[in-house]
Amino acid sequence: MKNILPFAMLGVAALIFPTSVSTIFLETPIEQQMGTVQKIFYFHVPLAWIMMLLAVVCGVSAGIQLRRDSKRAEAVSIAAAELVLVTGLGVLITGPIWGHATWGKAWTWDARQVSTGLLWLVFAAYVLVRHYGAAGSERLAAGLAIFGAIDVPVIYYAVKIWKTTHPSNDVAGSLPASMWAALWPALIALLLTSLALLFIRVRQELTDVTLDEAWISLDDAGAAQPATGDA
Amino acid sequence: MSEALWGPGARAKTSLDMVALRQAWLLAVNDLRQEARDLELILTSTFFSLVVLIMLGMSFSALGVSSQPLAVPGMLWLSVAFVGALTLGRIFTREREFDTLRALLVAPVERVSIYLAKAFVTMVILLGCSLLTVLGLTLLFPAAQPFADRPLETFALVTMGCTAYAGVGTLFAAGLASSSGKNVLLSVILYPLTMPSLLFALVATRSLLEGHESFTTYLGQLTATNVLAFVVGAWLFEPVLVGVPQKRRGAARAARRRR
Repeated sequence: MKNILPFAMLGVAALIFPTSVSTIFLETPIEQQMGTVQKIFYFHVPLAWIMMLLAVVCGVSAGIQLRRDSKRAEAVSIAAAELVLVTGLGVLITGPIWGHATWGKAWTWDARQVSTGLLWLVFAAYVLVRHYGAAGSERLAAGLAIFGAIDVPVIYYAVKIWKTTHPSNDVAGSLPASMWAALWPALIALLLTSLALLFIRVRQELTDVTLDEAWISLDDAGAAQPATGDA
Repeated sequence: MSEALWGPGARAKTSLDMVALRQAWLLAVNDLRQEARDLELILTSTFFSLVVLIMLGMSFSALGVSSQPLAVPGMLWLSVAFVGALTLGRIFTREREFDTLRALLVAPVERVSIYLAKAFVTMVILLGCSLLTVLGLTLLFPAAQPFADRPLETFALVTMGCTAYAGVGTLFAAGLASSSGKNVLLSVILYPLTMPSLLFALVATRSLLEGHESFTTYLGQLTATNVLAFVVGAWLFEPVLVGVPQKRRGAARAARRRR
């Protein structure tokens, strides 16, 4: 069941996604002020929500990893961080395209843009430390992930604390039903894809750990054998 | 005095927090005393600050007075970022070279005291270099004159900016030192994490130079970032540096081996 679940999720996402795209482009009315470019909203917003969710997942699992030295939590943390990079890249590409059409400028150094860019940089640093760090750097990377997760509330409240050009958080609540009807399927499809990739990547990482441990025990056994022979 | 601090009755005499603070103070004084003997970090950081200042002066000397308030804050905090990376790279080197970090970790010292002591030493060196940069910028750029006109505000701003940098940086510099990690990773970690406090410092400096009332608001936000950086840094120092004790797991492994 565990093995099938991620692929079932990917299958459901593959079914929902074309329907979602057709709803977004063919059924949802074109926004009067922004025109067709507003359609990017249906990808930008779900990607941003998923990115923040994964950053929190990464931070929490990094905390568990540090507290309990849990390999499972470490695997979740690695997988979530890599997916934060992917979804974050999506947010940072779709956002400026939308911003260029709406504000006439792709990047305005708005507080939410900056805090999102920072989140992406922190998780890029996490991935670099995981890949190139020496032994013991997994704890260092976990510390980074916790700092990254702290950035999530900053991104959320950035539009309330500072004067920004970004739409406020209340916009989602005031959307008409027709827009929600297009937003939900896009959100579900992207969320299912992200969670499926998370599960697959976690399993890969756990397999990697098992292989490492098997290799070490084999190495230990190999080192112990001549000593036994001598005795 | 040392009996009162390190001895078995120490905790009975004073609260744990006070003991940790006094241990931190003693460790910091010891580090500063060693630094005063060979001046390695102070001289290299000061020299580096001067070189950065000269490069900034050469690059931006033709900048108009109206544009200078936009450029000077960037010059100041970029200089702090570079000098900070250099300082943090060296702050644990002595411990690593003589393997005294392990000795420090097994000594009856609160781990948070080690963190506070190292952060304090970093902050002192960084503060000295930043004040030198402020002085240089005031001499080189007419728009930086408010630094001299409002010395208390300038001092508070520079202190707050350096504190945040030291708070976050010490945690990760310690982690890299203990994991025999590559120092190039320090910059990779340090710059994204210190960017929020540097950004607050940047906008606060701009409002100071332009004489805006929002200066105190930005300074308050920078102080809040400092508090957050120190609380999280102190909380994470032990798990990041040495990990969690694994008595139960170790015991289970040993039992399996015996079987």
